[in-house]
Amino acid sequence: MSSGNAAAQRIQDASVLLDILDNLPTSVFAKDENLRFVYSNEAHCAIIGHPEAALLGFSDSDFYPQAEAQEFLARDRAVIEDGITIETEEAATGASGISIPVLTRKTRLVTAGGKRYLIGTNARLTEIHKREEQYRALAQTVPVGVWQVDEAGVTQFANPRFLAYLGIDTDGLATTELISKLGGARQDFPGITSRFETDLTSSKGVERRVLVISSGWLSLSADGLRSAIVSVVDISEMTQLKRVNDEINRLNSELADSVRKLRDAQDEIVRRRQMAQLGQLTATVAHEIRNPLGAVRTAAFLIERKLKDKGIDVEQQLARISNGITRCDNIISQLLDFSRARALQAEETPVDEWLSRVVAEEAEKLPASVTIECDLGLAGATAVIDCARMNRVVVNLISNASEAMVGKGDDPAKFATAEPRILIATRLTGRGIELTVSDNGPGMAAEIRQRILEPLFTTKSFGTGLGLPAAEKVLLEHNGGLEIASAPGEGATFMAWFPLSQPIMNAA
Amino acid sequence: MSRSLNILVLDDDVENAESLAELFAMDDHKVIVAHDGQQAIEAFSLNKVDIGFFDVMMPGKNGVDSFIEIRKTHPDAQVYFMTGYSADDLLKTALENGAKGVFGKPVDLPKVLEMLEKAAA
Repeated sequence: MSSGNAAAQRIQDASVLLDILDNLPTSVFAKDENLRFVYSNEAHCAIIGHPEAALLGFSDSDFYPQAEAQEFLARDRAVIEDGITIETEEAATGASGISIPVLTRKTRLVTAGGKRYLIGTNARLTEIHKREEQYRALAQTVPVGVWQVDEAGVTQFANPRFLAYLGIDTDGLATTELISKLGGARQDFPGITSRFETDLTSSKGVERRVLVISSGWLSLSADGLRSAIVSVVDISEMTQLKRVNDEINRLNSELADSVRKLRDAQDEIVRRRQMAQLGQLTATVAHEIRNPLGAVRTAAFLIERKLKDKGIDVEQQLARISNGITRCDNIISQLLDFSRARALQAEETPVDEWLSRVVAEEAEKLPASVTIECDLGLAGATAVIDCARMNRVVVNLISNASEAMVGKGDDPAKFATAEPRILIATRLTGRGIELTVSDNGPGMAAEIRQRILEPLFTTKSFGTGLGLPAAEKVLLEHNGGLEIASAPGEGATFMAWFPLSQPIMNAA
Repeated sequence: MSRSLNILVLDDDVENAESLAELFAMDDHKVIVAHDGQQAIEAFSLNKVDIGFFDVMMPGKNGVDSFIEIRKTHPDAQVYFMTGYSADDLLKTALENGAKGVFGKPVDLPKVLEMLEKAAA
């Protein structure tokens, strides 16, 4: 340290000292013990907005807004009376009406003669400081819990909302506890950027659903120690709203479901009523037509007998009458099956055994060109079936297959396949018995396959369009179904399936 | 050598009844025709009937009720039923009360004749 220049002397000149005071960036003023201004430098004049000459002999209440002045004077009195030094951050509103934030320091000076003065300084708070104030105010009032914690685990800041959420006071800021309460088992919380929901229970027992957002480590200060900002937002109401919304959605979809079920039930009632009417009509028609059919058959039988050995050639005509009667009778049976006019007459039946008889009987009626093969694999399994109706199902499937391949079988030129073959197979599966009737005929296009179970849909010139729908009805009544696989040129497979021995659904 | 049977045909459908009667008569059986239940009951009381062919659904007393009444005085009555569509409950009752069997209408005549032949043997 070098010694000072001995030539230099302390300034003694009061006017120079006053000039120095006027050039300070800090405002300096002095008041007498009655708190009237006795001195003001330039900086102080700038804050208050009046020249020194206008101030001398006057007090704060002559220049500042009343409330402000009262506050200043109260502190002034404490300084003059008690000799204390006061440092406050306050706002001074000068003549311009602009509020200037200042750091004010006031102290008492007692002269050798016992006179008491108040000496005051105002340092203007910087803009940054002002902004800090704003941020702090924001942090105090924002409806979000804010917590700043550094890498050493020291809480740098926590706003009142944060403390309220966690149910703690400033003394309770044990970092590890906060981390476990907020972050649960998250290892890196609050050090990594993260965002998650969690439940908080405050000391008052209030449960909250909160969204926790961590900024991750940020370099916020020059000391090199990084901090994380953790925000806590109460989303209990949102969660509640979401729950209400979900509940409304659930109820809505339930309602839609109920409406749909109701409509289906109505449709079903209408359908059942229609089927019941059709059943009644069919039963009446069946009865009324089969009686005269019976008479015709007997009459034809009598004619045949009477003309026997008389050399009159009517054999073909009589055969036509007989075939016509059989066809009419089959149509009535299909109608009865389709309209479910009767309850099932079901009984326990060994299926393969029954099927062999039906196929053997039907095989005799097929055109000679059609080969029929069986591959039965039920090994004696039984099912509760109405044999008369199931007969008609099998006969229908076999005659369909035959007709698809060779028509009526009388003109080989019109055969759709060179070696017409029907394969009848049975096997046990998870759903029961599967009985397939496959042919190697022309198969069918998708649009026909889709319509083939519609009542009255037929591809034949001589069909009622009720054969397959009736077959399906019979299978449905047996709690089974009818499935069709076919493609043009690849034959067709009709699969009838029904459960093994089990109770049968009552007819509609 | 087969014997002649006394056959009762009960059907409200006259054409049916008459043509069946003619067919059976052709095989030298004696045939009585009834068109309602009451006539059938009377026919049983007045004649020795070997076999009956009864329709089920008829105006007035139906075939099954008539049969049950006949069975009271003729417990051995041999009756077959003929039906256009199955009146299942009635037919069940008939079979439970000793009916011999059921033929669907239109009746399979060779089967009926075969049965008669056996009965007449």
